[in-house]
Amino acid sequence: MENKNFFKSSLFIKIILLGSLFVILLIGGFTYKHISNLTNSTKVVVYTYEVNVELERLNSYLIDAESVHRKYTLTKDTLYLAPSLIARKKINNSFLQLKELTIVNIKQQENLIILSKLIDNLFLNFDKTNRLVKNNEISTETFKTLFFEEKVILDAIRRQVNEIIELENKLLKDRQKEYQSDLQFTPLFFYFVLLMTLVIIVMSLNKINIDLIKIKAKNDQLLIFKESTNQSEIIGKHGNWVWHINANIFTYSDNLYRLLGEEPQSFEANFDNFLKFVHPEDVDRLTKDLDRMIVNEELPFVSYRIVQKDGSTKYLKAYAKAFFSIDGQKRLLGITSDITDEIENFLALEERNLELERNNKELSGFNYVASHDLQEPLRKIQTFISRLEDRESDKFSEAGLQYLERINSAIKRMRTLIDDLLQFSRTTKPDKVFVVADMNELFENAKQDVAVLILEKKAKITCDLLPNAQVITFQIQQLFLNLLSNSLKYIQTGKAPIIKINYETVKAKDDPNLVKATKSIYHKITFADNGIGFEQKYSEKIFDLFNRLHNKQDYSGTGIGLSICKKIIENHQGFIFAKGKINVGAVFTIYLPVN
Amino acid sequence: MENDYINIILADDDRDDRLFFTDAFEELRMNTKVNTYNDGVELMDFLNSDDAIMPNVLFLDLNMPKKSGIECLNEIKASGKMSEIAIAIYSTSASEEDIEETFVLGANIYIKKPSDFKALKKVLAEVVSINWQYHTNSLNKDNFLLRM
Repeated sequence: MENKNFFKSSLFIKIILLGSLFVILLIGGFTYKHISNLTNSTKVVVYTYEVNVELERLNSYLIDAESVHRKYTLTKDTLYLAPSLIARKKINNSFLQLKELTIVNIKQQENLIILSKLIDNLFLNFDKTNRLVKNNEISTETFKTLFFEEKVILDAIRRQVNEIIELENKLLKDRQKEYQSDLQFTPLFFYFVLLMTLVIIVMSLNKINIDLIKIKAKNDQLLIFKESTNQSEIIGKHGNWVWHINANIFTYSDNLYRLLGEEPQSFEANFDNFLKFVHPEDVDRLTKDLDRMIVNEELPFVSYRIVQKDGSTKYLKAYAKAFFSIDGQKRLLGITSDITDEIENFLALEERNLELERNNKELSGFNYVASHDLQEPLRKIQTFISRLEDRESDKFSEAGLQYLERINSAIKRMRTLIDDLLQFSRTTKPDKVFVVADMNELFENAKQDVAVLILEKKAKITCDLLPNAQVITFQIQQLFLNLLSNSLKYIQTGKAPIIKINYETVKAKDDPNLVKATKSIYHKITFADNGIGFEQKYSEKIFDLFNRLHNKQDYSGTGIGLSICKKIIENHQGFIFAKGKINVGAVFTIYLPVN
Repeated sequence: MENDYINIILADDDRDDRLFFTDAFEELRMNTKVNTYNDGVELMDFLNSDDAIMPNVLFLDLNMPKKSGIECLNEIKASGKMSEIAIAIYSTSASEEDIEETFVLGANIYIKKPSDFKALKKVLAEVVSINWQYHTNSLNKDNFLLRM
């Protein structure tokens, strides 16, 4: 967008420049025309004066001729006839001169013809009178008439001359008027045009200045951008390259050279030079990719190895896409990044995962063997004891029988321990299937498992309506069972157990227990009993494996049940908390995320 | 007459278990003939021998050296002449995996070795008196594991 504006403004400047040139040429033309007009006017003035002067001269010649003629008439001396001839010659010359001067003016030519006829008449008259004078016929009527005619012709000539002069003067006046108006208009016009040119030039300069400032700001931005790109390339371990397709030229960024372990711009940027660094096993594949890039003008994600000059191998990943610049040039912009760290991390992680998997397998194998192989001798001891009790009981003393019973109860305890351990290890196994289940049903199933105990202890159990939830069913059932067993086990002597199960949904942000919650809404189920309770300081410890708060004689238990509960809850991304008060009861609160 | 008694075979590597097993049948006084084999190889050698008399019920321990109960089960079900034998898995553990696998492989019943001799006698008496024809037809995963 910015670039487009820039191009627009450059076009604008060109137009202004052409406009200014045109205006200056116009001024030149006008000036030339005005000056030539002025010259013409001057010429006309000079010419008019010349005409006037010539006419005056003609006039004086005529006067000369007349005076000579008069003198001859008076004196009859032929001496005066010669100057008359000369005057005539001079008049003719003067007349020719006038004719030439007024050659462009038809009106004046006509006037001159009239004048010439009048002059001819005058001289004809002179000749006639001269002849009369010669014959001494001065007092005749003819002479008088001729003499009078002479005066009339001279008057006519003078009038004619005046007329020509007047006409010339009039012409001169007109031309002067024209010249004057030209003269008046010219400076105004010049001033106006000059002003226009100045305005245009100032505007252009201003525009250029603004553009320059903009370009400078853009340049600054570009510099900053370039530097930040450089920095980010160094930090992000990637480099960029551009393939100018039309010119088949490559440019590599500085950091691309660094990725190859080379100094920036230390070799010519092209395919062949780059391929020298590519791992021999990857050269073929990459070459094919690059060939395809030339055809498709796009490079999908490719990864390959390079070998730096110091022999170290790096993993690179590249991607490129075609890009059209404003002037229509096609380019391929590519990014190549060093993914060695990622690959190494990934490999290390994979190694670690495999190790964990192996450990897990070993552990579960150990679990199986432990539970299975430990059960076998136990079972046999039990069976042998049952054989002893059946067949040999009469041979035992009272104490012997009691020992047998002790052995039996120890074995039973051992068996429970193994069963619980097995249960715990099953809870840890990763094969969990989450299904939507009715938790009321799961709770009822758990209740069924301890139905005998409930009857025996005369327990009262109340339970809210529980929701449906996405759970691992057998685990949740186990959880309910363990919590119920717990409440039925740790009862106060002589007090029938009362177990209350309450349910509600809570928002994580409203519940102080859910500070670490990752979901927003939770099912909250509380198990409250009136049993022996526990000291609040053990509220976290009771979930630890094999942790017991009571001795085995008072309360049976392996210290695994609540650990299993915690594990199950963790499998469901939930939370479990215990609250206790000695001889008042215990409250277990579990939170399960709502989907 | 050979067919007058119920022919029973137990394959178990455990000496004590074999003892309990034979003692139990002795005390039961049912019309049974009990043979025991110490591992899977011994069992299969016998079953594959030409003059072998096929048992009515074969009790098969799973955890045995040389050849496990699962391998034996596989071979028996693959062979034509042995496929009619009723097979009772007789194992210490009753893990879901074992139950699942042996059920799929075609065993008829799964017994978890009891830890009481009286219980053992009761279980064996029950298994021997099962009508296998009827039991096999209505066999499903729920009644596969024998619960006492």
